[in-house]
Amino acid sequence: MSIISPSMQRTRARRVREMLFRSAAMASLVFVVGPAMWLVIEVVVRAVPHWHWNVLTTVSQGTSGGLENAILGTLVIMFGVLIIAGTIGILAGIHFAELARPRRSGKASGAVLRTATEVLSGFPSIVLGYVGYIALCVGLHWGFSLLPALLILSLMVVPYIAKATESAIRQVPTNYREGAEALGMSPGYMLRRIVLKSALPGIVTGVLIALSIAGGETAPLLYTAGITNNLPSASLIHQPIGYLTYYVWTDYNQPTNEAHYVSYDAALILLVMVLVLLVTSRIIVARTQRHAEGNR
Amino acid sequence: MDEITSSEAAARLIDNELSRLDPDANRPTNVISTEGLNLSFGGKSILTGVNMEFTRGTITALIGPTGSGKSTFLRTINRMNDKVPSFKHEGDVKLDGESIWGSNQDLLTLRRRVGMLFQRPNPFPMSIRDNVVAGVRAHRIAKGKQLDVVAETRLREVGLWDAVKDRLGDSPFRLSGGQQQLLCLARALAVGPEVLLLDEPTSALDPLSTESVELLMRAMTPALTIIVVTHNLGQARRVSDKTMFFYEGRLVEHGDTAQIFERPREASTDRYVNGLMG
Repeated sequence: MSIISPSMQRTRARRVREMLFRSAAMASLVFVVGPAMWLVIEVVVRAVPHWHWNVLTTVSQGTSGGLENAILGTLVIMFGVLIIAGTIGILAGIHFAELARPRRSGKASGAVLRTATEVLSGFPSIVLGYVGYIALCVGLHWGFSLLPALLILSLMVVPYIAKATESAIRQVPTNYREGAEALGMSPGYMLRRIVLKSALPGIVTGVLIALSIAGGETAPLLYTAGITNNLPSASLIHQPIGYLTYYVWTDYNQPTNEAHYVSYDAALILLVMVLVLLVTSRIIVARTQRHAEGNR
Repeated sequence: MDEITSSEAAARLIDNELSRLDPDANRPTNVISTEGLNLSFGGKSILTGVNMEFTRGTITALIGPTGSGKSTFLRTINRMNDKVPSFKHEGDVKLDGESIWGSNQDLLTLRRRVGMLFQRPNPFPMSIRDNVVAGVRAHRIAKGKQLDVVAETRLREVGLWDAVKDRLGDSPFRLSGGQQQLLCLARALAVGPEVLLLDEPTSALDPLSTESVELLMRAMTPALTIIVVTHNLGQARRVSDKTMFFYEGRLVEHGDTAQIFERPREASTDRYVNGLMG
């Protein structure tokens, strides 16, 4: 004889559903975290046993030697992208969020601009690289050099920064704005002192993604930056520049063990760079958000 | 008898002397007045035909059911509605005899002179001290060390100083709701407003915090003119000098608070203040 009442049956069904959801969530987590861990472990395991510190202090000799030229080159490229794409992307995001609101201007220039940036972010990077090669390196006679590389990479990552900035600004609570307006703060002052400060974590995340992409891209750089074993020079054009991803890719395709070690080293250094970026950005966010509403 | 006469004479003398010192003495008695004010959003009328004067240094309570237009009226006075695209107004609101929409009226200065406190405490995401002086900084009223003085003065004024003096650098969100609202009040007072608009300032607070806000309201007048929207009829009765009753987009009745509550002229006022209509 059954003693399970209808209400108990419902409870059991709910439990089963809940368990299914939990396992699905766990599976997704493993699906995301697993490959990332695998990647990190493989790189570390392959690079560390053959690690020599002079990789950091000597330049490359093609399939052997160090990576100093590539490390400095990647740092220069990331810094350049931070300046160019960071400025343009954040300003564009502020524009989308504050000035181009559809409800304010009716038709909104914002819609066109926003669509344009979304199209831009969907472009294959190698196509952008080729455009940069034809238009800048050949068309403007800049040759393989830093400036076309920076412009093309910035073009690629501006949408990420703009989007992140826009959504971060939109999430700033209305009551902060109302409070600021009621005190007679000007819109610009409110934006600088209240809105941007509160939106900073989101903006930093966008910039972080942009910099990681800039550091990790290969295809557009092959077309624009060229490659060189020399250290980066002060010239923006006419001088090719080295970068880590080139060595990760090229030396892995070489037959010698020595070349493979260079490839693993380059990958490890890139990983460490991204890690340092992550930690730095978390520190910046923690320092500036210590008075935020969530941090009681 | 003589004694009373002489003390009355002395009181008159003191009054005269005080009014001579009073910076407001030569200003219009009515700090704010509205003339034939009609308010609407997107063609939908919210409030029609409001003619009202707010005497300097008094507390006026705005009461009425939800949707009666009292909050819209309040937010019109410091032009918070102006940014709503579909908002339209006819008639005029005057501050010290000058239209708040006049061409020589600077919006930021207007909002410095007419402060506002909201229903939910809304401290900024910055330290407690920086919150108090946020407006002072924006208007460049004081700087550097003076800001510390401003912060202390205003925090003392709202009775928060002892509770926060050792943690001025802390996040304001660690304070209780009532303390946060007092902090917002200190922030509003710091820019030296002449009028303070309170939009249900205690509806999110516990009874003790409510009491301290009400005591402060009494203490701030007559230096300040206060207009307060409240759903708490007891509060309107306790703190206000005048009461305005809004119903269905009209100012039905206004007058001395005692009269509105004890001898209302209109039937709807009577029903509302006696709890027969919510």
